[in-house]
Amino acid sequence: MLRIDHVLGSRLDPDISEGLHRLEHRGGVDVVSIPVADLARRRLLATTRGGQELAIALPRNEKLFDGAVLFIDDERAIVVHAGTERWLRLAPRSIADAIELGYQAGNLHWRVRFEGEALFVAMEGRAEDYMARLDELIGSRRIGVAIVDQESGEDSDKRTSAATHDHAHPHSHGHDH
Amino acid sequence: MGLQQTPSATSGGAKPSVAARIGIGGPVGSGKTALIEALIPVLQRRGVDFAVVTNDLVTKEDAERLRRSGLIDPARVSAVEAGACPHTVIREDPTLNIAAGDELEAKFPGLELILFESGGDNLASTFSLDLVDWWIFVIDVAGGDDIPRKRGPGVIKCDLLVVNKVDLAPHVGVVLDSMLTEAERVRGGRPVIATNARSGLGIEAVADAISSAVLFQA
Repeated sequence: MLRIDHVLGSRLDPDISEGLHRLEHRGGVDVVSIPVADLARRRLLATTRGGQELAIALPRNEKLFDGAVLFIDDERAIVVHAGTERWLRLAPRSIADAIELGYQAGNLHWRVRFEGEALFVAMEGRAEDYMARLDELIGSRRIGVAIVDQESGEDSDKRTSAATHDHAHPHSHGHDH
Repeated sequence: MGLQQTPSATSGGAKPSVAARIGIGGPVGSGKTALIEALIPVLQRRGVDFAVVTNDLVTKEDAERLRRSGLIDPARVSAVEAGACPHTVIREDPTLNIAAGDELEAKFPGLELILFESGGDNLASTFSLDLVDWWIFVIDVAGGDDIPRKRGPGVIKCDLLVVNKVDLAPHVGVVLDSMLTEAERVRGGRPVIATNARSGLGIEAVADAISSAVLFQA
């Protein structure tokens, strides 16, 4: 097991990217996929795609992120790849519906972000569990619902819309997390 | 590649400079403090250097209980008064708890583990990962076998669900096996441990889970 005590930097840092690029040509860059929900953990066990077990124990002022370089030497590097984050995109039809939706999301302590006239709820569980809490709003079509898969990373915003698929009504997507 | 032989990527195998931080949350009376009292001798026997931060509403009741227990150096127990909403200081704004942890780390430089006991709350209570690396949610059989079914965020999202007071199951009309099976089902197979903090049942397993998850000891 390899212990990781620090993030060495980003794969985009000039002093790292050159060495990383060289290793990529030799197939020496190993990737560890971390679910978005786990990125905030300072301590966790993970296994790279190459099978290297990692015991990550970061100081509290450091965090994992997409593209974080955890290890690099002349032969090999280990880079974090953050998983896809799933969001429920909720579009209220009226100001009254928006107020009610805002109340519900706050009351349920959901992690949200705003984009234009839509409220995005980060899904840390099954979509149906979130939609069930908004049954009346969704059932009466007072809010529109879509599920958005968003890649993490520096250019994540550009990739959001491409992965969007709209749903006119709530139903199970069969995704268990 | 020689990586397997490398004990540490950056520090030559030295201990990390910061203690692991774990949370212990759950409803009022489920046995959070009792679980900590039971864990203390087990962690001590395993040679883990640890401290505890307790959260109470408007008193330091739980901290005083641990300090008076004789189980742990009272200086290793710190108290945070949470005010009206126990979840606020472990989730929305955990700065009071982070500061309490930092103070303990400054006072005890070799600290490996800090346990944050939340104030008793409801099933919606969860910990911020800015505060802890991993967290336990404690429920008890006397609270009713329907608790897992209610899918509270605490029950669903925690890294380890502890079902405490299992000795009371026959006295409160709970079929323990069904309750545990249901708990595992709603958690998608993530860990559930049955305990009786008073007798010590299951406590070694909880200590094992902590050791493996954040101390990286098998």
